[in-house]
Amino acid sequence: MKKLIELKNLEKTFDGQQVLKGISLDIYENEFVTLLGPSGCGKTTILRIIGGFLEADGGEVLFDGQKINDVPPYEREINTVFQKYALFPHLNVYDNIAFGLKLRKEPKDVIEQKVIRMLRLVGLDGFAKRRVNEMSGGQQQRVAIARALVNEPKVLLLDEPLGALDLKLRKEMQRELKKIQQEVGITFLFVTHDQEEALTMSDKIVVMKEGTIQQIGTPTDIYNEPVNRYVANFIGESNIIEGTMRGDYLVEFEDRMFDCVDAGFEKDEAVEVVIRPEDLDVVPVTEGKLRGRVKSVLFKGVHYDTMVETRAGTSITVQMTVRDAKPAVSSSAEECISANDFYLDIEDVEQLTDARIIARADAQAWNPKTDEFLSISKLKYSIEPKNGVYPVTFETHSGTSITVNMIVADANRVQNKENGEEIYAMNFFKSADEIQESMALDHDLITWADASAWVLNSENEPDIRVRISDVRYTFDPENIQPGTYDVTFSTKGYEYKVSTTDRTEVGDVVGLAFVPEDLHIMRKG
Amino acid sequence: MKRFRGMAYPYVLFICILVVVPMLLIIAYAFTVEGTAFFQHQFTLGNFARFFSDAVFLQVLIRSLRVALFTTVICLLLGYPAAYCIAKSEKRQGILILIITLPTWINMLVRTYAWVGILQDNGLLNTVLGWFGIAPLHLMYTDFAVVLGMVYNFIPFMILEISSVLAKMDPSFLEAAEDLGADKKQSFLHVTLPLSLPGIISGITLVFLPSVSAFFIPKLLGGGSYVLIGNIIETEFLTAGNWSFGSALSLIMAAIIMLSIYLTRRIDKNRGDVS
Amino acid sequence: MKKNKHRITPGRVVLAAILVFLYAPILYTMVFSFNESRSLTKFTGFSLQWYEKMFSSDTTMSAIVTTFVVAILATAISTAIGTITIIGLSRCNKLLRGAVSMVNDIVLMNPEIVTAIGLLMFFATMTVRKGFLTMLLAHIMFCTPYVMLTVAPRLRSLDPNLADAALDLGCNPLQAILKVIVPQLMPGITAGALIAFTMSFDDFVISYFVTGNGVQNISILVYTMSKRVNPSINAISTLVIVIITIALILINVLPPLWQKLNKKKEETA
Repeated sequence: MKKLIELKNLEKTFDGQQVLKGISLDIYENEFVTLLGPSGCGKTTILRIIGGFLEADGGEVLFDGQKINDVPPYEREINTVFQKYALFPHLNVYDNIAFGLKLRKEPKDVIEQKVIRMLRLVGLDGFAKRRVNEMSGGQQQRVAIARALVNEPKVLLLDEPLGALDLKLRKEMQRELKKIQQEVGITFLFVTHDQEEALTMSDKIVVMKEGTIQQIGTPTDIYNEPVNRYVANFIGESNIIEGTMRGDYLVEFEDRMFDCVDAGFEKDEAVEVVIRPEDLDVVPVTEGKLRGRVKSVLFKGVHYDTMVETRAGTSITVQMTVRDAKPAVSSSAEECISANDFYLDIEDVEQLTDARIIARADAQAWNPKTDEFLSISKLKYSIEPKNGVYPVTFETHSGTSITVNMIVADANRVQNKENGEEIYAMNFFKSADEIQESMALDHDLITWADASAWVLNSENEPDIRVRISDVRYTFDPENIQPGTYDVTFSTKGYEYKVSTTDRTEVGDVVGLAFVPEDLHIMRKG
Repeated sequence: MKRFRGMAYPYVLFICILVVVPMLLIIAYAFTVEGTAFFQHQFTLGNFARFFSDAVFLQVLIRSLRVALFTTVICLLLGYPAAYCIAKSEKRQGILILIITLPTWINMLVRTYAWVGILQDNGLLNTVLGWFGIAPLHLMYTDFAVVLGMVYNFIPFMILEISSVLAKMDPSFLEAAEDLGADKKQSFLHVTLPLSLPGIISGITLVFLPSVSAFFIPKLLGGGSYVLIGNIIETEFLTAGNWSFGSALSLIMAAIIMLSIYLTRRIDKNRGDVS
Repeated sequence: MKKNKHRITPGRVVLAAILVFLYAPILYTMVFSFNESRSLTKFTGFSLQWYEKMFSSDTTMSAIVTTFVVAILATAISTAIGTITIIGLSRCNKLLRGAVSMVNDIVLMNPEIVTAIGLLMFFATMTVRKGFLTMLLAHIMFCTPYVMLTVAPRLRSLDPNLADAALDLGCNPLQAILKVIVPQLMPGITAGALIAFTMSFDDFVISYFVTGNGVQNISILVYTMSKRVNPSINAISTLVIVIITIALILINVLPPLWQKLNKKKEETA
């Protein structure tokens, strides 16, 4: 095959931001090439440079071996299908398609023949006299393709042309576009952020990230052999596990050795292992290479998306003391005030504010007749940064007050070195009413216990928060009695996404099976 | 939701009284015998007959149309390149629009009066021309002065209408044209110009309409004997006290304006819907 | 592709010429309002005599006062009516909406002189004494459509459920409008009020036909004075130009400034 377009070290900067960082790419005759990447990765910029609408700051664009950096768009043998089609609204379908031919002063009968042939190719016979504004998105799309193809370009550039269509039409147009490309036999350069679109249509996919090319290859190559975590995540769904190469064809992860088909890594090199969800099978525990508990099952029509947790996350258990606390009532019986005892982390004493005390004590005052809330105007307390019990008094304007205890204690946290996480929570007091009235109990429990989790890192970088994904307790929130209860907060552990046709129930303990070919080893980075 | 409906009713009543009734009065008086009130039911077509049978009135009408047409053409020819230029300047577009808009907010009469001092025989313009050895020109009280006054007052409307359409135009249309083989000149002729037609049309409307009906511009810059249709209407109402003929004149003028707007819009429609 | 940042193109030449053409007369008026002599061509020296004359003339002063009073009242009333009406109309059926917008179009598109004679005949037929009140009514009439035209797009862009949400959360209808709808419409309302003010402040044709009994605004005064060469017109004109320019600058500068101040407040809070 002949090389048609050659990009050599293209660079482009917008407003001080480098959007292309040295792009080199060869495109051959009759190829369907897709530039794939998230928005802002530079894929449209490449297309616009090839089309001639943007000038590269550095590098060369070669077309048929000729440098075309300075050739204006109207002299390039390249045509474009624009993102929103850019059909001329003042012209009808026929005149839109004939636009380029008329400019080249081709004879009228030739123009007519060519336009009609194009209309037939894109399946729009009989639409010649239609206004373009009166057509559906899919039809406009076809007109735009016809308008570009009628000029017999050597390359057709398509800038996210299916982005404006709904899902069903998209699928239809994907097939259609591929068919048209095979029929006219020219090079298509297609830009999209939709990985599925890229996989269906392309001969060659170019995966991009932040102005650089990550991987070039056929759809199967890219899917089965992603070069790094970015590509693996972008193309299809995948489980990516940290592991270590223990030798050729031998990888260790989750503290176990597995055979694989990759070699050429250094011994003990840290790697990432990709397993596609559809390559994992759910089997009885005894037959699995890994074992875990089913955390969730989503029915997807043909298969189930099952999450299997092989190792629990970091968790912490605190005590919740439920009391039958009564609010204090003023002598005139027109005001009530309530608050509860609470624990304070010794490290927080220094930065204690009235607002925080009110929040932790959940102090509130109200009029029992009208149920209107009253403001708490005064707080009385003295505290020292030492473990102990310190009383605090809340008071309203008219002097109704309640006194509760602040209990200063050492921080209660759990580190999980393996997962690289730390989790923190405090014991707390609540009344039965508050638990019964809670509308989102899990969330309230997290707030009451002041529970949080973050990634452990040695450097002084800002903490990366980790979501607390699981709250477990043994009491029955509807009929809770005074007493002390355990509440456990945990983060997410190691989870595998499995696409399977086997039905399982949440909580089942299952095995996961795979063969060495299902493991794909990537270098880290 | 009917809750807030009642809020619109007072205004409906208000405009019925102050807009609809006066318009009906004009129509009624136009068909009423001169000197009688419309409720005396003296129906006549005489007011229109008088206008169309008198050569003087027809000449005034033709002159009014001619002046308005000249004004419109000049505004279009000068306004289009200026508007194009504004629409192309990305950063300064806002400030340029403001600069063009600002004069339209200032009293037209005040701005028109300024030209009296500039165009007089011994006025500023002739003084400046004199420095270059050009003999004084007689400018005041001519067609030139009147058209100049109108262009001066109305050209911002043309520029604003066209530039707003041009600025809103999707740049990918131009890229598409270039992509399909059009050079700069061809893309202007085949894409930019036809797409800016709606702006041109509304610009023409906004210039032609006030030009036809203007009456203080011809009075200030054309002098007492320079009469356009607006001046006759003024005289009929404020000096001659002939409401019937004045109303008939207004109706004729309104009809001409409606017709011209309708015709220009038709051209636009035929060229296709551009939105 | 060449960079044509500073190239002189025909378009730029025309644009520059038009800007000179638009501003030269304004500048000329302002400069000659300070002229010592009556001459409109030779600047003989700086003086404030035309301003003194202007401020000492009762006719001129009363015209200025009339202009301001009418403009302020017409702005306030037409802004209120316009806003209330457009909110009400958005809940009305298509027929009424269409009818109102058609009548508004008549006001906006009709040659001013036609509107003016219509009102003249109407007031005369109703035997209303022409003067301040008729002028004010006329101004309210032609200002309100502009307010509605400016507020309407803003209203259309609002979530139609906004008022219902306010009612659902316990507002009464009046509160729903004042606390929820009106604040959202505020940019449109201020713009509409500004347009109404300048329209009223600058109006000549309609005022000229519907006034009487010696009630004059600045435009009418200038028109009657302009029959003779009279440099005090330059002084009055300059006053008008300065007032309108200041109003425009305030409107263009204040809202962004406000936003900045508010942001700062939020940041310090």
